[in-house]
Amino acid sequence: MDGQMYGLTGGIPLSTLASGGGGVGGLPPPAEAEPGRRGLRQGIVVFRWAALLWTAVLAAVVDLSHPALAWTALGILAVWNAGVSFRHAWDRVDVRWVDLGLSVALLLTAPAMMREGALAVSGQPFFAVAYPLATVLTWAASTGFIGGVATAALLFVPLAFSRAINGVGFDRLASSEVVDVATGGIYYLMGGGTVGLFARTIDRAAAELRSANDEAALQAERAARLQEREALSREIHDSVLQALALVRKRGRELTARSSVPGRDIGELVQVADDQERALRRLLQRRADEPPEGSVPLRTVLEAATYGIQGVPVTVTTVDPMWLRADDVGELSAAIRQALENVAQHARASMATVFAEEEDGQIVVSIRDDGVGFSYDEERMRRDGKLGLLRSMRGRIEELGGEMHLSSAPGRGTEVEFRLPGPSGPAAKATSAKATKDERS
Amino acid sequence: MEPIRVMVVDDHPVWRDGVRADLERSEGTKVVAEASDGGEAIEQVRSSMPDVVLMDLRLPTVSGVDAIRAIVEESPHVKILVLSASGEESDVLEAVKVGASGYLLKSATADEIIAGVLRVHEGEPVFTGPLAGLVLAEFRRVSTADPGEPGLTTRENEVLKLVAKGYTYREIGELLFISTKTVQNHVRNILTKLQLRKRYELMRYAIQRGLDRKE
Repeated sequence: MDGQMYGLTGGIPLSTLASGGGGVGGLPPPAEAEPGRRGLRQGIVVFRWAALLWTAVLAAVVDLSHPALAWTALGILAVWNAGVSFRHAWDRVDVRWVDLGLSVALLLTAPAMMREGALAVSGQPFFAVAYPLATVLTWAASTGFIGGVATAALLFVPLAFSRAINGVGFDRLASSEVVDVATGGIYYLMGGGTVGLFARTIDRAAAELRSANDEAALQAERAARLQEREALSREIHDSVLQALALVRKRGRELTARSSVPGRDIGELVQVADDQERALRRLLQRRADEPPEGSVPLRTVLEAATYGIQGVPVTVTTVDPMWLRADDVGELSAAIRQALENVAQHARASMATVFAEEEDGQIVVSIRDDGVGFSYDEERMRRDGKLGLLRSMRGRIEELGGEMHLSSAPGRGTEVEFRLPGPSGPAAKATSAKATKDERS
Repeated sequence: MEPIRVMVVDDHPVWRDGVRADLERSEGTKVVAEASDGGEAIEQVRSSMPDVVLMDLRLPTVSGVDAIRAIVEESPHVKILVLSASGEESDVLEAVKVGASGYLLKSATADEIIAGVLRVHEGEPVFTGPLAGLVLAEFRRVSTADPGEPGLTTRENEVLKLVAKGYTYREIGELLFISTKTVQNHVRNILTKLQLRKRYELMRYAIQRGLDRKE
């Protein structure tokens, strides 16, 4: 197979890509949601730093009993935030748990770093209240409304005990203090709920966009098949049916006569002869009739390129090739993702979709002559490409196939999908292998 | 240098005018004749002696493929470049088999058409991606139907696949570590094989028919 990928950097199986970043509600988010989610994540990172800065400003103003401890805690938080933000890892589950732990720890220890009773007696502000809100927002962005509200509720518990830890019992709290604590909790809840709803809306809109795209591809494919059928019936109508009508008409005329010259019969024989050959040709072409439950791959590929703008796409297939009808949706969607990516980012002058059969497998490659890229996972994650690649790869593996990628700066990109063919033992062997690779 | 003498065959006058305008704009090419049908094309080749014929395939009365067959028979030095709308794949393959040197889609730009004319005039086939796909399919069909038949070599197969993926000859040379010239040779050989096969098929068909007649 490597022989087929004249890979400039070689074929890189995408199973090497790091995983992580589940979508809202446990399912992987559709790739179409990526731009919206990225915007949300970036916004929250900005808020994080603002919250941290505000905490530091307050820490400088309030009456601290253990300033060294407080500044050490803030320092740890700053390092943590810088590290995670730099790696764009806020949607990783383990990172979110650590962050939650840090927020709980901050809420529990910060009151002890202030002079005892400062929160009630001198009415000083609780300096650590802002940062945990960032934790709530991050959880909400990754896990949705319920996750956001649950995190907020969890963080409200240490917040409620902050006064007690500071040496001011619940019975000694002024009503304004109670209101302060409650307000903090309400902010957490509102933040978590709002961002959670927002994240879910982004994913839903993206899912709708995707199903609309899939539907459009299917419609186009149906239209193409109908057209093919019409062309065939037109052809039969023009040639064979005309000839049959002629034979019947002439035959009637001839039977009406008492004696028929051999030449007239010869003419009829000639017409029948010609048409027999024409019909045979038509039927031979129809010998390419798809196997049960399959559709012509070419039609699928052409439908998948409809409406791609910004780069001319050529479809080439080594016909006849068939695709299982059940596989049409996923394959079309993966091809569209690849082509849309080319159209938007590759600055290519052309793109080709080439399909051939090899060892019973369907091999579809999408190539462009654009800028290409070096395989740099960090950078691809930053550009939001990792989500796209994962999504394409997911679709192809869903069909028991594999995806390979080769590219180099300035030398275009080639994405190759290998799918099991419509039937045959090769198909089963491949999907078994793919499953094994997945586990190892 | 004398400009290349080109003849344009198409049943749509508007299209002919467009192609003529494109070719006249270039210094290296000159339109010496036009024809709207295959029969007319065969006659025009005799009288105006073009170097290159730009040929549509869907023509009234005498089809493009039949005209190409006749022209190649009579004047083997005339190069033929097929310009055809998409969706006429089977005709295109037939046209190349009977002697056309290449195939461009009608959606090709003026520059691509001019470059194509120059190339076939120099004896280089114009092998576009879709044509490579057709040829691959043809050789696959042959090898399954008749495994004894000589097919494509592994290298020729590789070259064709890369052409089908849209790589230029230079890029193919770099990928396979061979010179651009060698790539051109492979492509020319593939075309020759295809045309030889066609002649062989015709011969076999003629012999069979002859035998049938005698019965």
